[in-house]
Amino acid sequence: MSLKLRALLKSPWVFHLSTGSCNNCDIEVLDCLTPRYDIERFGMLLAPSIKHADVLLITGSCNRKSVIRLKRLYEQAPQPCLVVAIGECSMSRGMFIHSYNCPVPLDKIIPVNAYIPGCPPKPEAIIMGAVKLIQKVKGTL
Amino acid sequence: MTREDVLKGLQERFRDDIIDLYDRSHKRVYMEIIPDALPRVAMYIFRDLGARFNIASGTDTRTHMEILYHFSLEEINLIISLRVKLDREKPAIASIAKLIIGANWIEREMYELLGIQFIGHPDLRRLLLADEWPRGVYPLRTDYEEWDKSAVRDRGV
Repeated sequence: MSLKLRALLKSPWVFHLSTGSCNNCDIEVLDCLTPRYDIERFGMLLAPSIKHADVLLITGSCNRKSVIRLKRLYEQAPQPCLVVAIGECSMSRGMFIHSYNCPVPLDKIIPVNAYIPGCPPKPEAIIMGAVKLIQKVKGTL
Repeated sequence: MTREDVLKGLQERFRDDIIDLYDRSHKRVYMEIIPDALPRVAMYIFRDLGARFNIASGTDTRTHMEILYHFSLEEINLIISLRVKLDREKPAIASIAKLIIGANWIEREMYELLGIQFIGHPDLRRLLLADEWPRGVYPLRTDYEEWDKSAVRDRGV
């Protein structure tokens, strides 16, 4: 594991991107930041800009217009950048799989490190996914 | 102004334009009119009766291209939906965007998703579809077929 990646895992700052979700996953992501679930105990902080972030949280099925923005954000992210797909839509597009506007799933566009299934996933599931992501990169999973 | 006055006034004024009047419930009336009469009927409801233009909705039925223009009269709690049936092969109708500003974007959306031509629209461009979307492909038509060869339509399992 590189030094950069080790430093990242101490306090992974996350950037939250919705590529056309129904906002339910976004609400659950925000729930994780509240004192009840408090994802900050793993050092996670919501970053206001992708240029400050180490982890990209993506919700929603990628549609033809948001894919352009998604690629632009991924290019701007400082490497190494970990990508987490939250919710059914960002994993396999869920019920939008046959939609004319959602041609390609997320993991065929950019590499994804962790998947958190659910519609929407519970905050506990998101925290579990975050912990597993850290363990996976450390190699202890 | 009561509900009966409104309906009677419409029937008397547009006797030749109304094909069918379906009184569905006490707050919902569907009125099928001939397509050429749309601007004058819509203007009468919008300006003279003081109704609010809610939205228009387009549907591709098997036989026709159908547009519903929904107007609401709030003081008598009534929604009037004007139904217009267009030719499925070459759907075209006069635009009401110049008369009712709120109809501008919904007509653009119906133009891009269903391919209905709105004659006299001030700015008939695409509204929401992506830039690379090919010309002449309308996604909400029943005979729409996948044009994108790179699309993945399985869940990968």
